[in-house]
Amino acid sequence: MPPKKKASAAGPVEVSASKAAAAENTGETEAGGQDAGTDNTKRKRTRTTKAAAKNESDTHKGDDSFSALLEPFYGGKSLTDPINTAEDKWNLLPAFLKVKGLVKQHIDSFNFFIEHEIKEIVRANRRVTSDVDASFFLEYTGIRVGEPERLDYDDRRPQNEITPNECRLRDMTYAAPIRVDIRYMRGKVIVGRKNIAIGRMPIMLRSSKCRLSGKNDRQMAHMNECALDPGGYFIVNGTEKVILVQEQLSKNRVIVEADPKKGMVSASVTSSTHERKSKSYVMMKKERIYLQHNILTEAVPIVIVLKAMGIQSDHEMLLLVAGTDSTYQDEFAVNFEEASRLKIFSQQQALDHIGSKVKMGGRNKAQGAPQRRNHISDGLEALANIIITHVPVVGLDFRPKALYVCFMVRRVLMAMHDPSLVDDRDYVGNKRLELAGQLLSLLFEDLFKKFNVDLKINIDKVLKKQNRAMEFDAFNHMQSHGNYITLGMNRAISTGNWSVKRFKMERAGVTHVLSRLSYISALGMMTRISSQFEKTRKVSGPRALQPSQFGMLCPSDTPEGEACGLVKNLALMTHITTNDDDEPVKKLVSALGVEDIISMSGKEIYEAGAYVVFVNGTPLALTRQPKDFLNSFRKYRRMGRVSEFVSIFINHHTNSVHIATDEGRICRPLIVVDNGKSKVTKRSLEALRRGLMNFDDFLHRGIIEYVDVNEENDSNIALYEKEINPTTTHLEIEPFTILGAVAGLIPYPHHNQSPRNTYQCAMGKQAIGVIAYNQLSRIDTLLYLMVYPQQPMVKTRTIELIHYDKLPAGQNATVAVMSYSGYDIEDALVLNKASCDRGFGRCQVFRKYATQIRSYANKSSDRLVSPVPDEKNKGLPSKKHAILTHEGLAHVGEKIVAGQVFINKETPANTMSTGIGSDFGSNDFKPAPMTYKLHDFSYIDKIMVSQTENEIMVVKVQTRQTRRPELGDKFSSRHGQKGVVGIIGNQEDMPFADSGVTPDIIMNPHGFPSRMTVGKMLELLSGKAGVLNGTLEYGTAFGGSNVDDMGEILVKNGFSYSGKDFVTSGITGESLPAYIFFGPIYYQKLKHMVQDKMHSRSRGPLAILTRQPTEGRSRDGGLRLGEMERDCLIAYGASQLLLERLMLSSDAHQVDIWVVPDVQEHEGCDEDDDAICGQVVGTGVAEYERVGET
Amino acid sequence: MEYDPMIMDTEATGPSVKITEAGSHHVDFELQGVDLAFANSLRRVILAEVPIMAIDLVEFSANTSVLADEFIAHRLGLVPLNSKNVDDVAYSRDCDLCNDRCENCSVTLSLHARCTGDDIMRVYARDLVVDGGRANQWVGAPVITDPEGLGTVICKLRKGQELNVKCIAKKGIAKEHAKWAPTSAVGFEYDPHNKLRHTDLWFEEDATKEWPKSKYADWEEPPQEGEPFDYDAVPERFYFEVESVGNLEPDAIIQQGIKVLQQKLALVLQTVTEGEGGDANGMNGADDYNNGPRSPDTGMNGSGWQADAGYTTPGYGGGNASTWGAGAATPYGATPYGQNHSNGWS
Repeated sequence: MPPKKKASAAGPVEVSASKAAAAENTGETEAGGQDAGTDNTKRKRTRTTKAAAKNESDTHKGDDSFSALLEPFYGGKSLTDPINTAEDKWNLLPAFLKVKGLVKQHIDSFNFFIEHEIKEIVRANRRVTSDVDASFFLEYTGIRVGEPERLDYDDRRPQNEITPNECRLRDMTYAAPIRVDIRYMRGKVIVGRKNIAIGRMPIMLRSSKCRLSGKNDRQMAHMNECALDPGGYFIVNGTEKVILVQEQLSKNRVIVEADPKKGMVSASVTSSTHERKSKSYVMMKKERIYLQHNILTEAVPIVIVLKAMGIQSDHEMLLLVAGTDSTYQDEFAVNFEEASRLKIFSQQQALDHIGSKVKMGGRNKAQGAPQRRNHISDGLEALANIIITHVPVVGLDFRPKALYVCFMVRRVLMAMHDPSLVDDRDYVGNKRLELAGQLLSLLFEDLFKKFNVDLKINIDKVLKKQNRAMEFDAFNHMQSHGNYITLGMNRAISTGNWSVKRFKMERAGVTHVLSRLSYISALGMMTRISSQFEKTRKVSGPRALQPSQFGMLCPSDTPEGEACGLVKNLALMTHITTNDDDEPVKKLVSALGVEDIISMSGKEIYEAGAYVVFVNGTPLALTRQPKDFLNSFRKYRRMGRVSEFVSIFINHHTNSVHIATDEGRICRPLIVVDNGKSKVTKRSLEALRRGLMNFDDFLHRGIIEYVDVNEENDSNIALYEKEINPTTTHLEIEPFTILGAVAGLIPYPHHNQSPRNTYQCAMGKQAIGVIAYNQLSRIDTLLYLMVYPQQPMVKTRTIELIHYDKLPAGQNATVAVMSYSGYDIEDALVLNKASCDRGFGRCQVFRKYATQIRSYANKSSDRLVSPVPDEKNKGLPSKKHAILTHEGLAHVGEKIVAGQVFINKETPANTMSTGIGSDFGSNDFKPAPMTYKLHDFSYIDKIMVSQTENEIMVVKVQTRQTRRPELGDKFSSRHGQKGVVGIIGNQEDMPFADSGVTPDIIMNPHGFPSRMTVGKMLELLSGKAGVLNGTLEYGTAFGGSNVDDMGEILVKNGFSYSGKDFVTSGITGESLPAYIFFGPIYYQKLKHMVQDKMHSRSRGPLAILTRQPTEGRSRDGGLRLGEMERDCLIAYGASQLLLERLMLSSDAHQVDIWVVPDVQEHEGCDEDDDAICGQVVGTGVAEYERVGET
Repeated sequence: MEYDPMIMDTEATGPSVKITEAGSHHVDFELQGVDLAFANSLRRVILAEVPIMAIDLVEFSANTSVLADEFIAHRLGLVPLNSKNVDDVAYSRDCDLCNDRCENCSVTLSLHARCTGDDIMRVYARDLVVDGGRANQWVGAPVITDPEGLGTVICKLRKGQELNVKCIAKKGIAKEHAKWAPTSAVGFEYDPHNKLRHTDLWFEEDATKEWPKSKYADWEEPPQEGEPFDYDAVPERFYFEVESVGNLEPDAIIQQGIKVLQQKLALVLQTVTEGEGGDANGMNGADDYNNGPRSPDTGMNGSGWQADAGYTTPGYGGGNASTWGAGAATPYGATPYGQNHSNGWS
C-alpha cells in the first residue's frame, strides 16, 4: 500500500471513530459514535487563518506572527517614541535573533556542510580509477543535496515532498537524496550522467534544505509544524535526534603545557587535515629538547629534526630558536651536544637518523611498496607528510615547517623561563566547538571514500573478465550499493556512535533524543555543549567557571553532580563560526605591507618591536607596526573585505599577531566603539525600527562586529554607554545576554544566590506546560501538558525573545509566605483546594503504545482480530475486550483500566517455515494482545494506523490521563525553590486578606533565609504591582522593573509598599499577629508526580533467577530492606523480625521434588507411576508427602 | 471586676446588620452584636456550605474539538448556573422519587454545537439549553451577565468540529468542589484601627505612613492619643463584603448561609439532647449527619470499581486485575507462575 498523507481520505489512515467518554468525576458513559475528524491538517489550517489575520494588523510587514514578534521595537514602543541609544540598543538583540534564530549554530553549521563542505569532500575524492584498466576512470563533477522527499520516489505522484511531522508519526527518516553528476568511460567513450542519487542525507529541521525553511506561520501550521520550534535536530526512524555540540581543544594550534612534577615543559599541536589527524610534541626533558610523535619510536633531539628540515647551520638554528637573547641561547645550546655526539651534521644524516626511528606501520607494507625503502626516504616521508601535517611541504621546501618547529621550541624555552607563559587548556579561546555539520562531514567523507573503494573493487572485478556479454557500464554498479551511505548516516545518528575509520575515531553518545518534556527542555538541549573530558576525573579545572566564557557560555546553566561544569550551555547571542577560506586573508595580510617570514632570519624575527603574524596558528609574516596592522586589518574586516567571522588579536607575551579563520570558534556580536563614541546612533536605531535596516546591515556598515574569545580578551568592552572612555573598543549590546535561554527565564536572577539559578536551570526543563503548537498532533512516548498554562506576570526580555510567553510552563499562583498547619515544613507547600478545583496545577499525561503488524517470510502475517463474544456475558465481549471495535482496536474516547486489551493482535504460530512447497506451516495464530498495565485508568485519545518506509504497518495508540494536584506532587518557583504538596486545605480554612483573597499556595518562610533568593521576593513584589496596575512587569537580569516603582504602585492601590498584607485566619476569624508577604509568584508543576511513583506490595512476583522478590515499581517489586535498615534491626536486637524479613519474606521457597520409590515395596514399577512428591522448604526443612498412584 | 460571660446574650439589642452597599452581585454590610466566632462561622458557611446548582455529570455523544472530554467537562462544571430557590431541588442522593436521578433532584442541560462556517466558532454558556422538567422555573439556567448575553466561553470550534453533550446539574456545596461555590470571595474585617492589638503593626519608620488605612477606618473612632489599652475589649463590628458568582442573589446567599448555620446548630442540639436518653452509642449522629447538606456521591451508577474491597484507590480502580497478576512480568516476560501471557481475567 502506498503511504498516504495522513489527511487523505482513502485508506484506514487514522482510526478515530470516537465513542463516548466519561465526565469529570464519574464513570458514566454513553455510546454515540461519530466521525472524529481525521484530518488534522485542515483543522490547523483554519486555526492559523485567525492567527495570521490577527497578526496582519500587528506588523507593518504583515508576514506572520513569529517574525512580527521578532520585529524590533515591539516591546511597548510605537514608531513615534523618542529613541534613547543607551536604552534602545537592546533592540539589536531581537534583530539578531530574527536573522539568526535561536539555534543558529546548528543550522549554520549544517548549511555550511551541505552547501560547501560536501562539495569540497567530493572534489577531494573526485576520481575512481581501475587497477585493471588504466584508461578507465569515473569522475564526480558535482554534488548536491535535494529537498526531503519520500523514499519511494515516484514521478507520477504529485506529492513527493514529505513533512517532518509525517516522518515523526510514521517512524520514517526525514532525509533528502544526495545527487551527483558523473563523467566516466563506457567502452571508449566518455559519458556524462547527471543527478544520480547515491544515498540519502538526513536533513536538519529548518536548515536551508528543510521544507520548513522560509515558511511563514500559516504554511508551518499547514504542515502540522510548530512555528516556534527551533529546529536544528534530525528525525531518524521517527525519533528526534540532536547532535550535541562537542567541545574540544583547538586543532592546529600550539599549546604549551607544563608538568611541574616531572619538570617537563612541552608544546604540542594536534594537526588535522582531511587525510590525517595526529599530535606532535616538542618537549623539554632533562634540559634537552626533543620532538615526539606517534610515528616515532622514541623522541628525536630537536637539533636533528631541524637539521633534517634543512637548517644545517647551527648558528642559523640558534638564531631561529632563541634570537639574540643570551638566556635563551644558553638554554638551547646544550641541544647541539646530542647531535654531535650522534655524529649528525648534515641533512642526509639527520634524515637517516629520523628514518631509523620511524615505526613501519602497516600502511606502507599494505600498499605493496616495491622494495624496503631506505631510512632517508622514510624520514623524509615522515617529516613531510606525517609530522605536523597541517603545514604543507610543497616541493620538499621544509622552510615553513622548520619555522613552525622553531616557534614551538621558542615557546618551550619561554615557558621554561617564565612559567606564567604556560597556556591554560581551559581558556575558552583555546577551545573549539564541533557541531553537527562538522561531525556529519567527517562521517560523510568516510562513507563516501568507502563507497568509492567498493565501487572500484566492483569495477575491477568486471574489468578483469576479458569477454563481457554487455558493454560495461559503471553506472549500474553505482546503483547496486546505493544504500551504504544512507544506512551509515542513519545508523550513526540513531545510535550516536560516530566511528570514522581514517582517524580511528570511535565516539559514543554523540546524539541524544530531543527531550520534549517542555519547550524549554527542547530549547535547552539545542544549546547544550558536551565536553570530551571524562566525567569520573576529579579535576576542578575543566569544571570551573572561566572568566573567558563571559558572554559566550551561560554561567548558570550546568547540571549538578558528575557532569557539573563539563556540560555547558551557549549564551543567548553566541555564534559559532564555520570555516572560512584563508587565502583572501593571506592576500590581505600581504597587501597590508608586511614582510614574508620565510626569508627572515632569527635575528630579525626576534628583534625588539617585531611581531610575527600567524594565520590559523601558522607563521606567515613579520610586521614592525602591529597596532597599525591590527587596526587596518579590522578596518578591512568591517568593510567586508574578509569574512566578518575572521578574528585578529595581538599577543604581547609572544610578540605575535594571530588571525583565525577556522571553524568552531565561539564568538558574539558587539557594538563597535570608535573614538570614544558608540557607532550605534539614533539614526541607525530609527532605521532599524522602521525596518529599513536589519542586523546584517549593521554588520556590513561596521556598526557591529563579531568578536571571538581571543579577540574579546584583547578588547576593552564597556558594559554601558556611560562607561565608555577613550580606550574603549567595544560596547555590549545587552548585559543580560551573558545568560542562556534557560537561565533567561529567571526573574531578577542578579538578586539570587548563584546556585539557585543553576537549580532553576535544571528544574525549568522538568516543568509541565505547552510543548509546541503542534502538541496535539504529535504522538510522543510520554507527553505532559498543562491544562491552563499562563504566561508569567513577571517576564524577562529573554522570555519574550524565546517566546516562553507563547509556550509557557506554569501558572501565576497567589502565594502567602507564612507558616500554616505544620504541613508546610521542609519545603512542603499548602495548596488551596478551591484553586485545584478551578484548574490550578491540572495536567494531562499522554502515553504512546505502538506495535507493528509484521509480515513474515512464509507469507503469513500478524493480524488484528475482533473481540470474541463471551458465553457468560450474554454474547458480549468479556470485560477484557470490552472496549475493542470489530477491527481489534480500542474505541477512541473509551476509558481503559488495567488488564484491558487495546490492540488485539495475533501472530502466526509458525513464522519460521520457508513457505516453499508444502512447508507453509500451520494456519494457527497465537494471541499477542497489547494490554493496558497501569494501575490508574486512562482514556484512549488517538489511534493511528500507518506504514513505515519498509511497508510495515504500525499502530500507535495514545492514552490520556487528566490529573489534578495531589499530596506529594512537586512544584517549584523560578528560583530553585522546589517543594512537594504537604496538604490541600479547604478554602474557608485558608488565611485571607481583608478583601477576601485567599492564597493558592502557602509557602513556609524558612525557605528564604538560608537560600537567599531575593529574586523571588522581588518577583512577588513586581507581580503584585503588575496585577494591581494591569501590566506585565519585567524582571530582566541586570535590569527589570524597579523595586521603588513597584512599591509606589502598591501604595497607590492601598497596599503596603513592602508587599505584605494584613491577613485574617480562616479558621478562627481572628487577624494574624504578623503581616504576611502575599502576592503572585510563577509556579511550575514538575513532572514528578506521586501517581507515577506510589508503590507498595505485600506479596508479589519473584525473579526467576534468584527467586527473590522482583525490583522496581514497574514489576510490582518488593521494597528493599537494605544494609542500613538491617543495621538498625541488628542494633535494636529485633532478631525475629530480621529473620522474617531476610529469610521468610524474601528467600523462602517451596520446591516440588520427586523421590525414587521404595524399591522393595514396589519392585519393577515404572518410576513415573508411583513417586513420592515432597515439598522442600527453602529454609532447609523438608517435608515429605506421599502421593498416590496416578 | 465582674465578668459575665452571658452579657452579650442578654443584651437587649441583639445582633444587628447594617447594609452599606448593595448591588445585584455584591453586598457590603456591617454585622454587629455577635462575637468573632459567630461572624467567622457565617463567613465560612457562606463560602463553603451554601448549596447551589452546578453541572456534575457530562455525557459526551460527540466531541471533535481540540479539547479533551475531561477538559470540557471541567469547564462545564465551572459554568455558574442559576440557583434561585434551590431548596426546591433535592439532593440527588436523598431523592425519594428516584434511584438514579430525576427532575426533582437534577436539571438536564444539553449543548449541541457544530461549526459549519469558515470562521472559528465559539461555544458560549448561552448555548446550554435546559432539557425537560425541573424543580422550579429558574434553577439550572446558565448565568449570563455580560451585555452581549453570551456567558462564558466553553470552547472554540473550527469548521466541521462538533460538540454534543448532555449535562446533568445537581445540587451541592463548595466543600465538595469549588464549582458549587456561590461566592468568589468574602471580605471580612474588624477593628480597622487595631485597637485590640490582634495584629502587630510592623513598620520601618512610621506605621501610619506605611500602612494604608482600611476604608472602614472612618467608621470607627480612631484611638485617642495616650488611650489606655482595654484588655477586655472584644471585636464587635464586622465588615462583610459578599460577592456573588451570579447563581444566587447576594442577600439570598447570606440568608441561605444563616439557614445552613441554623441547621447545623440544630443538628448538634438534636444530637446532644437525643444522645442523653438515647442509645448506647451515645449518638446516632451517623444517620443524622447524612441528612445534612452534602454533595452527591461520585460514581452513582455503581460501576465496577466501586465494589472492590478497598484495595484500590477510589476513582482509579485497578481493582480488576488480580493484585499483582497484571503488570507483574519479570524482565524475561514470565511471571513466577509460569509463562502466562493472559493475565488477571482469562
